[in-house]
Amino acid sequence: MRSLVNMTPFHKVLIANRGEIALRVIRTLKEMNIKSVAVYSEADRNSLHVRMADEAICIGAAPSSLSYLDIDALVTAAKVTHADAVHPGYGFLSENADFAKAVTQAGMVFIGPSAQAIEMLGVKSTAREIAMKAGVPITPGSNGIVGKNYHAVAKKIGFPIMIKATLGGGGKGMRACFKEEDLDLMMKTAQGEARANFGDDRVYFEKLVLNPRHIEVQVAADNYGNVVAFAERDCSMQRRHQKLVEESPSPFVDTKTRQKLQEAAAKLIKAAKYRGVGTVEFLMAPSKEFYFMEVNTRLQVEHPVTEAVCGQDLVKMQIQIAQGEPLTLTQAEAGKVRCYAIEHRINAEDSAHNFMPCPGTLTEWIPAGGLGVRVDSHMYSGYTIPSYYDSLIAKLIVTAPSREKLLKRSERCLNEFVIGGVKTTIPFHQKILANEDFRRGNTDTGLIERMMKQDEGKK
Amino acid sequence: MDTKLISDVTNWMKTTDLAEFCYEQNGNCIEIKTEEALPEPAQYTCSLTAVTAPAVGIYHMAEKGKSLTLTEGQTVQEGDPLGWVETVSKKHALTAPVSGKLRKIIVQEGGVVEFGLPLFFIEK
Repeated sequence: MRSLVNMTPFHKVLIANRGEIALRVIRTLKEMNIKSVAVYSEADRNSLHVRMADEAICIGAAPSSLSYLDIDALVTAAKVTHADAVHPGYGFLSENADFAKAVTQAGMVFIGPSAQAIEMLGVKSTAREIAMKAGVPITPGSNGIVGKNYHAVAKKIGFPIMIKATLGGGGKGMRACFKEEDLDLMMKTAQGEARANFGDDRVYFEKLVLNPRHIEVQVAADNYGNVVAFAERDCSMQRRHQKLVEESPSPFVDTKTRQKLQEAAAKLIKAAKYRGVGTVEFLMAPSKEFYFMEVNTRLQVEHPVTEAVCGQDLVKMQIQIAQGEPLTLTQAEAGKVRCYAIEHRINAEDSAHNFMPCPGTLTEWIPAGGLGVRVDSHMYSGYTIPSYYDSLIAKLIVTAPSREKLLKRSERCLNEFVIGGVKTTIPFHQKILANEDFRRGNTDTGLIERMMKQDEGKK
Repeated sequence: MDTKLISDVTNWMKTTDLAEFCYEQNGNCIEIKTEEALPEPAQYTCSLTAVTAPAVGIYHMAEKGKSLTLTEGQTVQEGDPLGWVETVSKKHALTAPVSGKLRKIIVQEGGVVEFGLPLFFIEK
């Protein structure tokens, strides 16, 4: 550590978020003796994060655009409550460079990477360029935005290809194209979606890896060039690019591949001069070859899986880095696999009816418990789930000394979890656990869709 | 209980203007209420109109160098300025939504306000 260590301890942190992640951050702040400020919309007056924080302030009306996405209201709230830092959580403004800039310009610390890093890695084509320069494998593709000669570009890559929006995310503005005849139509659809969702219709091409796994590596980097990479998470169990189940370590990744993944992630993070915690996402082919997809420049929903496996508090690490503390964790400690962990995202959705959101009032709330069980949730009996926000109501995180024991424990937990008043995705998680391919660790990003088609067939 | 009796009584009641009918056999108790005797539904009207904070921020009664004094009891006309709420990048002007008497001033010059907080009450 040659650079001078420059530390500014926080006294008060504002959490620019709601729901379980706001609680998650408040809990760590309490353990660090840092005061917390909750912000809330009019629809969240009775929310648990409002009750648990040291202070709470109403920032706007129920729709996110008038509250949790209102940069001016959030920065003002932080200023008037004399917070010295802002934690963005995940979703909402967590990957918004303008928000990070506004917080910094107002004289506070944004707990996350610099606005510049968010901007750079947020534009997927730039992120690919950085990866390529750093020697991190990327899927063959257009290496930048495609122009009028897109037919030639696609043919050079070879079908099937993936059309992706430059500013895309969450599967929007993304289309698979299997043959040249479909290219014009798919191009139009992807561009239309990109324009509608991100106000920008630029797209790029990537080779489509068939039956891939979604493997991601959690990283942490401090202000002094120290980077650590943790054991991978396997997030192949997705429905329409929305993760449902995440586990670590991946049942598919061996020790050698694990090391390669960690080295690749660390190289990329160093090359981007990234600071904070983040996640490098890879696609892994059945051959165990992997390709860089994107960097999530924030804390992720599934971070507790890694916390269980490495035994570290990632939110605490994130805050310490933002305070200017150097990382004390070595790569050997960070990469250690101490146990097997899995996360089930429990949403207030009707999985029997195309995962339709089911907001409503909870008449009963009895979360699972016992050895190796963690439930991160903002629910309580009598709470009314507002219809304005996402439908995640709980994260069930289970740990065990082996994958076999893990699946058994998960099954036990899902059976004992009681949620009354709203439909949840628990029955679907039970189906996943009963799936033979999943039990064998034989997963890919298409497995859930195949499971659902099988169900349709039985009806 | 005799269900025929119940349906007879209900049918009979439809031919009258009775609103309530209680009946007890051995204690000889009959209680009848007509439509007019029913209590009026309570009507809640409030003559006070609240002026709430349009955003989280700092309240200012007047711009620097200018003066605006607001005192409880004074009359205000619809559209009259009531100061403004300052955020880091915006100024939200407050005006009286109705004409009337400024009955209550809750906010103070330079005070922190959150979204939706009542700042004034005007009596129509």
